[in-house]
Amino acid sequence: MRRVAFAAIGFGLFLLAPHVLRDFQLFQLCLIAGTAVIVLGLVVVTGMAGQISLAQSAFVAVGSYGSAILADKCHIPLWAGIPVSAVGAAFVGFALGQITLRVAGHYLALATLAFTAIVQLILIHADDLTGGAAGMPVPAFAIGSLVFSKAGQLYYVIVPAAVTAFLIFANLLRSRFGRMLAAMRQSEIATASVGIDVLRCKALAFAASAFLGALGGGLLAPLTSYLDPAQFGVIEAISLLAMAVIGGMRSPIGAIFGSAIFILLPEALQHFQTYLGLIFALLLCVSIVARPDGLASLRLNLGRGR
Amino acid sequence: MSGPALTIAQVSVRFGGIVALDNVSITVDAGSIHAVIGPNGAGKSTLINAITGIYTPSSGRIEFFGRRIDGRPPQEIERLGIGRTFQNTELFREMTAIENVIVGLNRQINYGLFEGALHLGGFRSGEVKARDDAMAHLAFVGLADDADTIASNLPFGKQRRLEIARSLATRPQLLLLDEPAAGLRPAEIAELNEILLGLRSKQRLTIVVIDHVMALVMAISDRVSVLNFGNKIAEGTPKEVRASPEVVKAYFGEERSHARGT
Repeated sequence: MRRVAFAAIGFGLFLLAPHVLRDFQLFQLCLIAGTAVIVLGLVVVTGMAGQISLAQSAFVAVGSYGSAILADKCHIPLWAGIPVSAVGAAFVGFALGQITLRVAGHYLALATLAFTAIVQLILIHADDLTGGAAGMPVPAFAIGSLVFSKAGQLYYVIVPAAVTAFLIFANLLRSRFGRMLAAMRQSEIATASVGIDVLRCKALAFAASAFLGALGGGLLAPLTSYLDPAQFGVIEAISLLAMAVIGGMRSPIGAIFGSAIFILLPEALQHFQTYLGLIFALLLCVSIVARPDGLASLRLNLGRGR
Repeated sequence: MSGPALTIAQVSVRFGGIVALDNVSITVDAGSIHAVIGPNGAGKSTLINAITGIYTPSSGRIEFFGRRIDGRPPQEIERLGIGRTFQNTELFREMTAIENVIVGLNRQINYGLFEGALHLGGFRSGEVKARDDAMAHLAFVGLADDADTIASNLPFGKQRRLEIARSLATRPQLLLLDEPAAGLRPAEIAELNEILLGLRSKQRLTIVVIDHVMALVMAISDRVSVLNFGNKIAEGTPKEVRASPEVVKAYFGEERSHARGT
């Protein structure tokens, strides 16, 4: 009964928002929703499975560029190209996992960082496909003759897609699959001792995070309408990880909190633009020391996976 | 007791120049409780790690009901029916007791990714059954009242029993216990003995206990193998082993055995 009430209120707000919010605010809302999907990938692989990943911005690139290139070269519309790219990214993530997950901790962070650097280099040097260092425009998101170009229109695509992704993954994390990841994080040797294949489990977590990264990237591409390879580097990967840490890595809600703060705070602090990096760095330090489970640990137990 | 459950044949484990196990052969009868004892550094934990696939033997072979298992990865060996506990307990510390056991039940919960994603179909019934089964395992080891306690908050003795419950949840045919009595009070050891004897008689489980606490081992074991410096120095019933001069020497040193001999 309560769930039905929540769903009804949520749906009401969803329909109300475009009539109350200005266009720029809708743009921000879309940005938060898309980014939150990307950060959710990190909640799965780093927060739940315990594997540090700096590869997320590379997977975002696979989703953004992948769907844009499919539209550009193969005339596959974005609504089909985005899920195709996301599934492709999942396979890449699984393969990357199989290769890199034999190492752990710092070494894994370095290996995934190298992957991000390699993908960015490919974006810059594969001129024919990606437009090279100059970047490439993203075709409009259209379903048949229905074109979604402004934030107010893309809102009806991005937000429902993000909500669906969140519901599915929140459910998965509260099922035996989420338990497998949590078990692995807490003791790999014990996880293997109850017959769970740890390496395969890690690779699947990586595949899930790649899928979500690419899905979020694909959704955001038509919103920003232009892809610049500089947006998909190591710094962005670190920012995404910081969002997950500040928001809370142990629950899907944390991904939403983290993304919202990173997108809304710069607006609220426009006069401190120069110090923004410093402010985020301090925020990160404070949250690691004072709230290791992130802002999400402040709220009640909604949708928590342990 | 019919036929061997576990055959360890001329197994050696070397780490660089160090020989942790030297040509050790042990046969464990199905349905028996078999103890492996020895002083610290005798190679007991190496043996359990070789059986469970954490180490690969340098030579020799290990068979489980006639099937060769040495060299296979741990999760595969577990799936063949070998459960284990750990010397320093390896629980999922942030989970409750019942959640620990439910992870052990993982392979018996058979809803798929799709049902898990939508919480539909077999999801609910699968989760309910897992909880019920987990509760039964907890009750068996006397932890029914602690089901919702976070594992790391349980007293040490209960953590030990929780590990046994989690391992039982995987429905093993052979249970390997790595120093289950270390750090336990005598009353807790007595409880543990009851649990292990119950497992053998009621569930026809084969149990290998590794320990140096004689109180546990001597009271419940059908056979005892003694390791010292990586070699098997004696084997027999608890009574025979206790009388063996080699064993007395290994445990109490030269002087005592001479004193006994004269």
